[in-house]
Amino acid sequence: MTHELVMVEEGDDKRVDGRTPNQMRPLSCSRNVLHRAHGSARWSQGETSVLASVYGPKSGTRKGENPEKASIEVIWKPRTGQIGKTEKEYEMILKGTLQNIIILTENPNTTTSVTLQVMSDDGSLLSCGINAACAALLDAGVQLKQLAIAICCGLTNDGTVLLDPSKIEETKVRAFACFAITNSPLSALSEVTPGSDKGKSLENGIVTSITYGSMQESDFFHCLERGRAATSRISEFLRKNLKS
Amino acid sequence: MDHRMGNVSRMTVNERKFIETALLNDLRIDGRRPFDYRPLTIKLGREDGLSEVHLGQTHVMAYVTAQLSQPYRDRPNEGSFSVFSEFSPMADPLFEIGRPGESAIELGRVIDRGLRESKAIDVESLSVVPGKYVWAVRLDIHILDNGGNLIDAANIAALSALSTFRRPECTVSGDDGQEVTIHPPETREPLPLIIHHLPVAITFAFFNEGNISVIDPSNHEEIVSGGRMTVSINTNSEICAIQKAGGEGVMSGVVMQCMRIASMKAADITKEIKNYVEIFDNERTLRKVKRHSEVATLEVDVPDASMNETSQLHHITGLKNHTDLIPKSEPNTINQVFIGQASNWDPYSMKTSSHLSKHFVASPSTLSPSHVDRVVETISLPKLEKNQTEDSTMDNDGVISIAVETSSVTKTKNMLTLKDAVDKKRKMKKKMKMKNVK
Repeated sequence: MTHELVMVEEGDDKRVDGRTPNQMRPLSCSRNVLHRAHGSARWSQGETSVLASVYGPKSGTRKGENPEKASIEVIWKPRTGQIGKTEKEYEMILKGTLQNIIILTENPNTTTSVTLQVMSDDGSLLSCGINAACAALLDAGVQLKQLAIAICCGLTNDGTVLLDPSKIEETKVRAFACFAITNSPLSALSEVTPGSDKGKSLENGIVTSITYGSMQESDFFHCLERGRAATSRISEFLRKNLKS
Repeated sequence: MDHRMGNVSRMTVNERKFIETALLNDLRIDGRRPFDYRPLTIKLGREDGLSEVHLGQTHVMAYVTAQLSQPYRDRPNEGSFSVFSEFSPMADPLFEIGRPGESAIELGRVIDRGLRESKAIDVESLSVVPGKYVWAVRLDIHILDNGGNLIDAANIAALSALSTFRRPECTVSGDDGQEVTIHPPETREPLPLIIHHLPVAITFAFFNEGNISVIDPSNHEEIVSGGRMTVSINTNSEICAIQKAGGEGVMSGVVMQCMRIASMKAADITKEIKNYVEIFDNERTLRKVKRHSEVATLEVDVPDASMNETSQLHHITGLKNHTDLIPKSEPNTINQVFIGQASNWDPYSMKTSSHLSKHFVASPSTLSPSHVDRVVETISLPKLEKNQTEDSTMDNDGVISIAVETSSVTKTKNMLTLKDAVDKKRKMKKKMKMKNVK
């Protein structure tokens, strides 16, 4: 490339596409987009778009998995090229995340398979995938303990936290983190007294945290705090979407 | 793993009998006539070379990419073209990840044969340095939802993706003519593939020992059918490929009738593909024009007018050449920064009297997640770009030569009509001819 990309204009605190550091790209979620799948959802954050489908439960678990619990199978399909290590890593991360939100004891000795197809990639792909998988599970009617909403944050050289970075921004940040934070409906917990453990443990726990690049501890917590705020907004959007 | 729960291909005897009996009376279970296609929708994405096709309930996505690579040794002057088709497990509970099954391979091969053997894609134009560097075009087909007749849908997706694909331009330089520089899309306009014709695949299913044939079988019809035949045919009624692998024996008269029907359907489908591709190309040109206006300015002068990009595509296409006349030589007057909120641009209103080009309002505060459908990046590029006129498009030339004329015209008029746009187009064409003659 012969030209330089200006990340943040001086004195203006705006990003390349005009957003503020705390601003996310427009979200959109469509459910039940596929006819054969039991549940499907398409989640878009700006230009990044992931299509997720859920089939299940099918009888039998994979070899070596606990037959007393349901098992989750995740398949991540990139747009082009062979399935490589990045895709396997995403599958692993998703499997771990979904295992913590699905009630596994409901259908023991079965497999629920979640397939994700990358439709377009403009940054924050992993968080888009996790959100799509969550929405697809909801569409399929799989019983969930709580929702896991994911957000990606980038950390620039001067310590600014950028929410929902685009592909260009991802190449330029010093470090990059992806969080999946649980979200439970507060109304269901209104009967529970504020001091009880049960209520506390269900609120806003971190299910998944993946970071790339090195960052200070304080920066990490800063990212996390921003991420939490963003996920509560995203889950509001998702719940509103579900009602329609 | 036991697939009993997800197994849908085992149909009940009642369902089978019902479909067969209905077909004897020329009725199909979804209400179509025997030679009717399901409704076809092609979505061409914001990117080049990406297409999504809905054919009834079938949903297929195709994506085209290209890379520089070494050519085959026995064909040093030709680029290569390869088709990768995968049945995603999301399309059908029976599809499994891993080695592609028979139908997946058959689909890939039929599409590949239709395009390659019939020389639909010009591979010789893909060679850069003969014997060393050629473009290898890769087509990935993802089946997302199996509603029947995957071959036809995948073929249409492939054709649309190939028609909208653009490969980066590259120049050969160096002492021995071996150095290849690939130009990113910002500096040089990427080039489309040379496609000679569009081979459309039409699939027929046979029932009742080959006496009944239907077009575009749905999922249930495919399971009940006794045989299947796919014909790849183009608008010149040239048969590019035929695939009838096994199944019931069919009389040759029936086969000929099917081919005649196929050539009619191929004409319809080709017209639809071309319509969608044309709409995409127009939108693409609009977007390209926006990018030029970014390049032109670094100093920001925020105007008051704003632009409606989403509506009135029709008259914008008429103005296409006209709006390309955004004067590059006037860097101080065009606003560079914009956010893709649906804004209002009416070139014929008083508001834009000072400029016929597009103005954008930078209003980040109004940007909300639920409303904006597009957010466009602003990239500040050095002014070096303007000097690359060697292979510049007509637009660039047009801009530089007529910049003066445009600005003088715009200052005088307040109320503008379509006629003004048309006149400018004519003037620009005249100027271009004169320039070329010189």
